[in-house]
Amino acid sequence: MPEIAELERSLNQLRESIEWPATPTLAGRIMARIATPARARRPWFRTQWALAAAVGLLAIAALITYTPTRDAIASWINLHTIIIRVNQLPSPSPQPSGPLGKRLGLGDPTTMAAAQGKVGWTVLVPAQLGSPDEVYYQFDAPGGEVNLVYKSRPGMKASGYTGVAVLITEVSGKVDTNFFGKMLGQGTTIEDVTVNGHQGWWISGQPHEVFFADANGNFRSETLRLASNTLLIDEGVIIVRIEGDLTKAQALEIAASLS
Amino acid sequence: MRPMEGRPTDGDLFTRAQRGDKVAYEEIVRRYQEVAFRTAYVITGSSADAEDAAQEGFVKAYRALATFRAGADPRPWLLRIVANEARNRARSAGRRHQLELHLAERFRPGDAAPSPEAAAVAAEGRRRLLALVNGLSEEDRRVIASRYFLELSGEETAAALGIPEGTVKSRLSRALSRLRVRVEEGGGA
Repeated sequence: MPEIAELERSLNQLRESIEWPATPTLAGRIMARIATPARARRPWFRTQWALAAAVGLLAIAALITYTPTRDAIASWINLHTIIIRVNQLPSPSPQPSGPLGKRLGLGDPTTMAAAQGKVGWTVLVPAQLGSPDEVYYQFDAPGGEVNLVYKSRPGMKASGYTGVAVLITEVSGKVDTNFFGKMLGQGTTIEDVTVNGHQGWWISGQPHEVFFADANGNFRSETLRLASNTLLIDEGVIIVRIEGDLTKAQALEIAASLS
Repeated sequence: MRPMEGRPTDGDLFTRAQRGDKVAYEEIVRRYQEVAFRTAYVITGSSADAEDAAQEGFVKAYRALATFRAGADPRPWLLRIVANEARNRARSAGRRHQLELHLAERFRPGDAAPSPEAAAVAAEGRRRLLALVNGLSEEDRRVIASRYFLELSGEETAAALGIPEGTVKSRLSRALSRLRVRVEEGGGA
């Protein structure tokens, strides 16, 4: 058994390798708060504002400095989804080893039937692609999250990063586009689309992250795992995300065949 | 002690801030925001909550500057306020996150250039040890992260975790013993 001193040494060495989330620049906002007299109660939107600001900070490297105005803060209250571009690819190395679900953070491997039993919506499968090669259930997403993995399909090449051709994620939540325009960095484009009467967005270009309000109304961020083009559809109760090295037409066809 | 270069000490800044010097307080925020944010992150496990807690903590600390005793160490004082905010957020219903620390796998320019095999072995060792730390109870994880990863002093760790300083030692000692057992079982580190 290792000595405690040896363990402490190892922990001290580990310190330099820890990756902390980027420290936000707080001074400006704190000084602005201090400049106004203290209130007996914190207005409820402050927390939302702070959350939204945290979300924004993740993208700061990719964004031109954006100073929120009162109007912008007001719009954040209703903010549900932000799509932003990030500089880093979501996967640290191409084709990493290990089970797919683990390296892409998709959750636990499961079957369609088992996944269906765990969520409160009808899991949609695109008829165009047929049954998925792998199914994952993400238990720690409020309301649950189901991931359908398609390794390869005719005319659809696998991602150079993950070996996955198409990844379909279904998660309980809502989309709001208030921030699409403002938070999108250069190199990523977004287009409004309609799929079977549902609002959708085709996001192409650079890797990006999606932010949305989950089943509990809390913000969640998700890195688009395949670092490729994405179609996002607000199905009402759930958000469906289709990722892959797909053309817009291919993604729309897959989306239209969801049932 | 005032350094030769004229960079004010933390004590100077606090004295000035107590007299209402907002520029001095802004400098305090800049100096402490990283340790405050990371401490809050260790407690909440969520960077959004940590940011919120750090921001709120600094605002509350400003309003409470009169209670800061001149000559005292400002770090534990500030960390206690920020950590208290962080614990409130960690406790609030439906906002539970588990702290999970990650390794930065990037190559650091200052690193010696080991063979790829040696680098891989070292990285694997670090990964395994961190996974074991992540697998400990929240209480154990927080005390280990505070002491070894944030390098907080005993007094600061006590402030951050909201426990007496004497308890920090015993809690840390128990956490290390449990980690040692897991290292042994897992054959890691």
